[in-house]
Amino acid sequence: MSARPPVKLTSLASRASPLAAPDAQRATLRALPLAREFDAALASAGLHPLRPTGVDVLQVNVGRVCNQTCRHCHVDAGPDRRESMSRETMEHCLAALARTAIPTVDITGGAPEMNPHFRWFVREVRALGRHVIDRCNLTITDTPSHRDLPEFFAEQRVEVVCSLPHYLPTMTDRQRGDGVFERSIRALQRLNALGYGDGRSGLRVVLVANPVGAFTIADQEEMEAEFRRALAARHGVVFDQLFCLTNMPISRYLEWLVESGNLGRYVEALANAFNPAAAAGVMCRSTLSVGWDGALYDCDFNQMLAMPVDARAPQNVRDFDLGALAARAIATDRHCYGCTAGAGSSCGGATS
Amino acid sequence: MAAYFDDDDLAHFGELEKHHPALWAHWMKYYGAAFEAGVLTKREKILVGFAVALTEKCPYCIHSYTAQAQSAGLTMEHLAEAAHATASLRAGITMAHALVAHNVDQKTGM
Repeated sequence: MSARPPVKLTSLASRASPLAAPDAQRATLRALPLAREFDAALASAGLHPLRPTGVDVLQVNVGRVCNQTCRHCHVDAGPDRRESMSRETMEHCLAALARTAIPTVDITGGAPEMNPHFRWFVREVRALGRHVIDRCNLTITDTPSHRDLPEFFAEQRVEVVCSLPHYLPTMTDRQRGDGVFERSIRALQRLNALGYGDGRSGLRVVLVANPVGAFTIADQEEMEAEFRRALAARHGVVFDQLFCLTNMPISRYLEWLVESGNLGRYVEALANAFNPAAAAGVMCRSTLSVGWDGALYDCDFNQMLAMPVDARAPQNVRDFDLGALAARAIATDRHCYGCTAGAGSSCGGATS
Repeated sequence: MAAYFDDDDLAHFGELEKHHPALWAHWMKYYGAAFEAGVLTKREKILVGFAVALTEKCPYCIHSYTAQAQSAGLTMEHLAEAAHATASLRAGITMAHALVAHNVDQKTGM
């Protein structure tokens, strides 16, 4: 049994790790002995090929730059990354939104707030009357040039979906870095002071808990109740909802799985827990993902694995065509077992 | 046999069913129902299972209930508290058994 590997403070890309290459990640997963391929599992549920049900959410990944370097990051984000969406690409996103009625824009990264055009983009999306979700790591609000983010979020009525793997400091810091828990709690307290999480203001703050290790969370509702009790009692923090996400076996989490000797059993457990109901509700059926360079993907995970949308569909947001995208088949591979295990997992938590 | 208590054993625990399917089914039904949430939550029942696994010194059960605890959001901090509560009760039981000696001595000593 291996000990916990030392915390990696840099991205796979900056270390020139072989696993920085998406093809190497997919090959690592493909080398595992699994009883059946993901597409066969989908077929058993009558879902192959997987088709979209529409686009309810445009998820825009505005870059891989981040102030943190979390161990489980599927983006391989960090301060050493340079990829960042240009204003021109954001304008293409806005044009696509203006031509459609897509109700929600989900902005992610990296730390999306570190994109120099972030606030402009949020204001423009809000001006189109669309709901904005910001996937926030919380500690960004504790950095010199972003201290006023909570006020900006409140002013623009942005839903803040933020990472907090556990209500215990040791667990959170183990995954996200020393001192992250304390800074995250301070950020949540500032959001609460503005009305976030009070259930009356309409300002929503949602917590996202990723397991700190090679396992999945069994019951999102029970976990939410426990978070609610512990965070209120220990820190006076309130929130609207808790999403439990399964860690996807790609990028830095894949590296940790390999180094800790947990990869085979983890992926096998995900595959064995394939749930047809969760598969029917996977987020890629109702979400479209845009990369920092405008490239289109079925989800943020496919984006990181360089698996673009169906070749017959538009490949870039500048060529956005909702009708053509609706006819696409969703690209899948073994990592997709991460979204269909047990109660399912998505950017909106459990799916069944 | 290569080894007792191999950590791959749990994966084929269900093979025991074939030796007596009817009794196995009774037990599985009872086991499943007993660990469903009732007045106690699933998390509380997992901790009961963990404590019993420790006192019964069953490596399979300790492994299984630790994994279940992780999936329920419980951490080593929770399990350590449970282990200490379990250990202290075991110490208490040892002391309580010393009462038998005390009683014998009370009765037969001078």
